[in-house]
Amino acid sequence: MVGNILLTAALMSAVFTVIMYYLTYKGYKNTLGLARIGYHATTVMVIAAALILLHAILTHQYQYKYVFDYSGSGLPTGLLISTFYAGQEGSFMLWTLFSVIIGLILLDYTSKRGDLEPRVMMIFGLAISALLVMVSPLLKSPFHYIWSQTDFLDVKYLNSAYLSLPSIQNYFFSDPNSNRHFFQISKESYAALLSSGVSINNFIIQGKGLNPLLQNFWMQIHPPMLFIGFSMSAVPFSFALAALIKNDYKEWVKQSLPWVLTGSMVLGLAIMLGGYWAYGVLGWGGYWGWDPVENSSLVPWLVSVASIHTMLVQKKTQDSNGGSRFVKTNLILSIMIFVLVLYSTFLTRSGILGDASVHSFVDPGMTVYLFLILLLASFAILGFGFVIYRWKFLTEHFNYQENILSRELALFTGSVALIASAIIILVGTSSPIFGQTVQTSFYGDLNLPIAVIIGVINGLSLLLKWKTTNGKSLLKDSQFSFVSASILTLLIVIFGGVHELMMIVLTLSTSFALFVNLEIVFKIFKGKKNKLGAYIAHAGLAIFLLGVIATSGYSKEQHVELVKGETVNALGYDLTFNGYRPIENGTKYAFDVKVTKGNSSKIISPVMYIADFNNSLMREPDILEGVTKDFYVEPVSYSDGSESSSSGGTKVTLKKGESYNYDGKEIVFQSFKLPQDVMAAMQSGSPFTISAEIKVKDYEKEYLLEPGIQMENGERKSLPAESKETNLKIEINNVSATSGQAELVISKLNDKNKQQSSPPKEVLTINASVKPFISLVWSGVLIIVLGFILSAARRTKESIQ
Amino acid sequence: MKNKYLFGGAIIVVFLGVMIYLFTQTNVQYETNFDKVIASAKTVKATGSWVKERNYQIDKANNLFIFYMKDEYGKIMKVVYHGTIPNNFESSTSVVVTGKYGDGYFNATDILTKCPSKYQEQTVQNAGS
Repeated sequence: MVGNILLTAALMSAVFTVIMYYLTYKGYKNTLGLARIGYHATTVMVIAAALILLHAILTHQYQYKYVFDYSGSGLPTGLLISTFYAGQEGSFMLWTLFSVIIGLILLDYTSKRGDLEPRVMMIFGLAISALLVMVSPLLKSPFHYIWSQTDFLDVKYLNSAYLSLPSIQNYFFSDPNSNRHFFQISKESYAALLSSGVSINNFIIQGKGLNPLLQNFWMQIHPPMLFIGFSMSAVPFSFALAALIKNDYKEWVKQSLPWVLTGSMVLGLAIMLGGYWAYGVLGWGGYWGWDPVENSSLVPWLVSVASIHTMLVQKKTQDSNGGSRFVKTNLILSIMIFVLVLYSTFLTRSGILGDASVHSFVDPGMTVYLFLILLLASFAILGFGFVIYRWKFLTEHFNYQENILSRELALFTGSVALIASAIIILVGTSSPIFGQTVQTSFYGDLNLPIAVIIGVINGLSLLLKWKTTNGKSLLKDSQFSFVSASILTLLIVIFGGVHELMMIVLTLSTSFALFVNLEIVFKIFKGKKNKLGAYIAHAGLAIFLLGVIATSGYSKEQHVELVKGETVNALGYDLTFNGYRPIENGTKYAFDVKVTKGNSSKIISPVMYIADFNNSLMREPDILEGVTKDFYVEPVSYSDGSESSSSGGTKVTLKKGESYNYDGKEIVFQSFKLPQDVMAAMQSGSPFTISAEIKVKDYEKEYLLEPGIQMENGERKSLPAESKETNLKIEINNVSATSGQAELVISKLNDKNKQQSSPPKEVLTINASVKPFISLVWSGVLIIVLGFILSAARRTKESIQ
Repeated sequence: MKNKYLFGGAIIVVFLGVMIYLFTQTNVQYETNFDKVIASAKTVKATGSWVKERNYQIDKANNLFIFYMKDEYGKIMKVVYHGTIPNNFESSTSVVVTGKYGDGYFNATDILTKCPSKYQEQTVQNAGS
């Protein structure tokens, strides 16, 4: 209740702030103080609401539907806190929370830079207001009570002491199919509980819990990071609109640049943290799957990085009259970043991607769907509407030509390449809206040439000078890098087995960029260190791309069955399965595999367990990490050997002509073979046999088996058929002549033989793979982040001059 | 000045052309009718549910995962997936497989399972009423 009141009041206060800032911009004198009070009040109320939600989660108040749906008792504190953003309501809440906190920093920042504050904070306040509408009690507030909407709760979540209360007996239901029992929670049943003096928090004692896939360290860091990035995307939008409102484009790029740099750094890191999560814990086998959810946050990031480069050109080409390059481009890109974040939110929250993504989504309902569209449309119209409004002025005042061999043009080309990549990913990711999707090769094939261009530009642009460059000096400057890159590429081609033309070209262009940047970093390191940022980031990008080339093109995978105690060689590693052991209080099992290569050996332990949450087998990979390659082991299944000794076989019911796949063999039930006169035989009581013609297809070969049932005086005797070639035993369990169906029991022949001769064998099945130089991907990302931080620091200093 | 726009325009046209061409080459339709899946020669994403009664098999030697899927009209289709049984498979209510039909079964290159949380309430409600 208090939570909802706080959120509603925060929304009103945010709208008040926007109006006060507007009036301040219009020239009113006393309103700036009020606007600031309004903003701080909003911040305090949002933080208070977030704390109430956190408190409700920590104290397991299942009276709140959100807490019941996404949280649970018995989670460790870190994960319990992360249930805050496990669902839609909470993640919008987190986004709002980060936005108001970032707004505090932005308020301080803009108040020190001329008359910027009213315009920037007015627009940023609008973004916060929109988010507050989203979490308002009308839409996705996390503070809805569980009884406000009729729902069925499994009785396992309830306190068994109260289940026999007479007043609530009418509200119990059972599902005969699953044999589960449910309590109908509604306003009526809640009233019945209250009248019996039972508090709802004593009645519901457990929540649905957190999806086991999310139960790990990365859940605590990836989503918050992503939402900080999302929150920061509204900042360049606000700066661009502030410039458009005033129709003054001199300062805003300088002032916005540190924010774009920091925002890109945070969002990029968040995306790659998700990639590491997918690789190291979720067992996707790689760090990037071109999943729509990943893509939809990559698109604004690419545009954001593109905008950094064109903003740099604008800043550099500023002349005394205020004229400069790419003014329009920068305005449009800055607006795009936020609009694309909203579009990403629309894609992932509207349920549109339902069938297309690994992430599962709940359909949020029509109201939220429409609101998401409205949100997207209004910010797009606001932003682009203003650009169109100022278009004439912009085209008249900012029109420049540049030399073909200039850094300006090179930077522009780099931005165009990034935007082209963004368009490709956007088109592919949006296709589920039209009921289709693209294969991941779409992204790979199209982005490969773009990566080559980015590689070349990444190196070349730094050798080019502003305005114009002498062709000869360019050749001279690039000599060292080009020769070194050629040698490195040659080595990679010879020793790394890289043979495809495009891959060789990409390797060459990327290593060229690497050497150019390293050379500059080396030179600068002796001189002005504050300029290092960009070159470090670009060297990091080159390292990252080399890692991508290696892992995407040259990973090897093998399916291996490991019998306990026996050593198997796979992909150059000797693997021995040493048995399993329970971990985490026996809720999970770790499967120890000794990995030996050369003289060194190490034990890695992939994990498997059955999750109560969804009653499924969950698997966690383990990785033997190395500098030149990772050895990646993904558990598939485990058999303790006892399965076969029970020899129950598999029961299947087949109609004529139907087939069944058993142990890789196709078993086709062709027809019944009946005595000529069944009725007569039955009546006479003389023995007769019903048999079935069964065809067994084992790859190319076919075998015919005829199991039967012998009937004599009403007694049945099974006549199983065995086939040594296919290692099968088939029995008829039952026949129904009328429907033409036969119930068969299929089992393996040699299982029994084995059982007599040797004890059951424990077998662990795994997918083993070698990922070459994946360490370059991670270290590349870290180096890029470092570069971004240095650049942001430098541009922050510049922004106040 | 004019050359600049011609050049830029040409690049954009080539880029869009290549993209549209590759899009039509790689796009995959969702299909909920298995008769159409069987008739189609293109790669499709077939959506349906797992036929629990017919269980599933794991062919460890060839790393195959074999099961039966049913569409909304009750048409049953055999699916052979080259790979491991996905997490959550047993509790899935809806399965999306990507691939082509041929030789009497659907050859799946990708498999996606949906969890029941979304549907649970509906089934219960039916049982209750």
